[in-house]
Amino acid sequence: MLDQPTNERRLTIARAMAEAMQQEMQRDPTVFVMGEDIAGFGGIFGNTRGLFEEFGKERVRDTPISETGFISAAVGAAMDGMRPVVELMFVDFFGVCFDAIYNQMAKNTYFAGGNASVPMVLMTSTGGGYSDAGQHSQCLYGTFAHLPGMKVVSPSNAYDAKGLMTAAIRDDNPVVYMFHKQLQGMGWLGTEAGATVNTPEEDYTVEIGKAKVVRAGTDVTLVGLAMGVHNALKAADKLAEDGVSAEVVDLVSLVPLDRETVINSVAKTGRLIVVDEDYHSYGVSGEIIATVTEHDISKLKASPARVTFPDVPIPYARHMEQFCLPNPDKIVAAYRKM
Amino acid sequence: MVTDVKVPQDLWQDDGMEAVITNWLASDGANVRNGALIAEIMVEKSQFEITAPADGVLTIGKQVDDIVRKGDVIGKIT
Amino acid sequence: MQPTKEQLLWMYENMVVSRRFEEAIEKVYLEGKTPAFNMANGPIPGEMHLSNGQEPVAVGVCAHLDANDIVTATHRPHHQAIAKGVDLKKMAAEIFGKSTGLAGGRGGHMHLFDSAVNFACSGIIGESCGPACGAALSRKLQGKPGVAVAFLGEGATNQGAFHEAANLAGAWNLPVVFVVEDNSWAISVPKSEATAVTRNDVRAASYHMPGYYVPGNDPYAIFDVAGEAIARAREGKGPTLIEVETYRLAGHFMGDAEQYRPEGEKDELFAKDPIPKMRERLISDGHATKDIDEIEKRAEASVADAITFARESENAPETDALTAVFV
Repeated sequence: MLDQPTNERRLTIARAMAEAMQQEMQRDPTVFVMGEDIAGFGGIFGNTRGLFEEFGKERVRDTPISETGFISAAVGAAMDGMRPVVELMFVDFFGVCFDAIYNQMAKNTYFAGGNASVPMVLMTSTGGGYSDAGQHSQCLYGTFAHLPGMKVVSPSNAYDAKGLMTAAIRDDNPVVYMFHKQLQGMGWLGTEAGATVNTPEEDYTVEIGKAKVVRAGTDVTLVGLAMGVHNALKAADKLAEDGVSAEVVDLVSLVPLDRETVINSVAKTGRLIVVDEDYHSYGVSGEIIATVTEHDISKLKASPARVTFPDVPIPYARHMEQFCLPNPDKIVAAYRKM
Repeated sequence: MVTDVKVPQDLWQDDGMEAVITNWLASDGANVRNGALIAEIMVEKSQFEITAPADGVLTIGKQVDDIVRKGDVIGKIT
Repeated sequence: MQPTKEQLLWMYENMVVSRRFEEAIEKVYLEGKTPAFNMANGPIPGEMHLSNGQEPVAVGVCAHLDANDIVTATHRPHHQAIAKGVDLKKMAAEIFGKSTGLAGGRGGHMHLFDSAVNFACSGIIGESCGPACGAALSRKLQGKPGVAVAFLGEGATNQGAFHEAANLAGAWNLPVVFVVEDNSWAISVPKSEATAVTRNDVRAASYHMPGYYVPGNDPYAIFDVAGEAIARAREGKGPTLIEVETYRLAGHFMGDAEQYRPEGEKDELFAKDPIPKMRERLISDGHATKDIDEIEKRAEASVADAITFARESENAPETDALTAVFV
């Protein structure tokens, strides 16, 4: 707790996102924000706090409950010279508007042979663990990462959150910005403390497509995203008590995916455990494992493992949901089995 | 000179209501500026901001999840 | 259409049961969530969307339905579930996440399914509309009786699913009634800012069906208009769109500080509470006070029983999370 840097300012991810949008909106008049309850309310997850007061209702727009309408409108606006930041309130709602996302936002650049761009940010909340049940708790990382044409990022902390949002807004490509609800800093939801970190006041970017080794180690590589990073760090602490040195890789981006950082880490440790709150099959965890095994299987001292959510809808009852979710103990158990 | 960081009397209506510290936005021992946002507290369902009353080094008194009332001292700035 | 005495007392009783239930659920919901409101805590974790004030819509419509008819509802379903005849104990147990709940705890408050009375609800806005059309189509194809009612909020009328379902219902002449609960607010966004028209009854014309707007959150007026619409559907004359002015006395979800509501609005709404208003009218129309007192006592008792049942029920084994994905 001591030895803190001077003039440290910690932000929650919610504030970090809002600050990034604020600074980009000050810098660039083509940036505007739209979504449900993002104006006067400041976003139900606090990520647009203060924007309406500063920039007004033309640039900070509450929309009707018309996701296909306003997300495909964002595509059109982006192709016409604006830089919209549009919110899909819960990633689970993608079902009502996915055509606008995966068929238009993600493909128009390609259909135009690179002669058109769609510089928009689609920000959306992910994650469970607080009993919001099957249609409000999903991560769906795999669903979005799987389909070509959209960048996908998910910060584990406020520093990355601000830098990634700034980078996403400045990127001329569509970026799906997934923020995990339990990392936001909303008092009414409970927050992972490790996500609220020192965040510079000046504008800066965090590179999209670059993973980070957030804890160095030698015996096993733990790969995670968003909440998974915090689970991995806690597991690493527990393993350290038994003399096991775990390296934790924060993927930061799913698209582009920094395979090299993962490959290099496993080359060093020889063991891989992927933590993924998304459904087990056909997703990020399988992709990371395939990345390592198809590169050089000889580096592995043990079969890779993954700690994921089972292939079932997310149950409402607290004990059932907790039974299904990844957690530090499951990661430790996976190591023990190796 | 020591300045108390107090929960302001005019932050919310009901005097009897308890609040909870939800986030410290500066660490124990950090340098803070007068007026900087240093903590968030929540009353029932609304979040409020606590700003530093002076320049100096922050010592945190009450922790995240601690319950506080209006006028309570939650930290000090020296 | 005028309600019979039985229907009136049925409506009043269901409104009271509904309200007592919401009050009881709210109390339990807040356990473990004060002073720090963390929605993950307590015996009922997660989100909670209460229907206080909206009871007239549920009873005015469901008074004309039986177990065989179909109701699809939203994330704010309790009043409609109760009026449709969903077992109160199993519903409470599901909200508590217990093994004795409608889905053994898997669904929770926003996902209440009871095939015994053809009731279903879900958390995605607009999701109620298509399935109601499908159920109506099914009855038509099978030559079986039955009307489907889809409840939705005024915010949902701007969602594509509503328009597609309404068009389908009109094009295929389906026995379905769309009932829009206009409580003016879609979380923090008022209807006036989100919806291109002032009243949704005018949209019915786009879909070749009659449209009605019922002001005043009045169970008698709702009974009348809904009765006509449901009768039309039963006679094979097709769908209807009804928008009902109602009031949301609680926040959008528990935890909503409602800072977007203009000052004084909530107080005005509480003064218009439909339950005391109906009580007064029943008495002034000559219904026996003792009947009414008995109804209220019965309502308290059945709610208390349901809550006790839910609390005392066991959790399902955690491995039940992995079952019932497929049959």
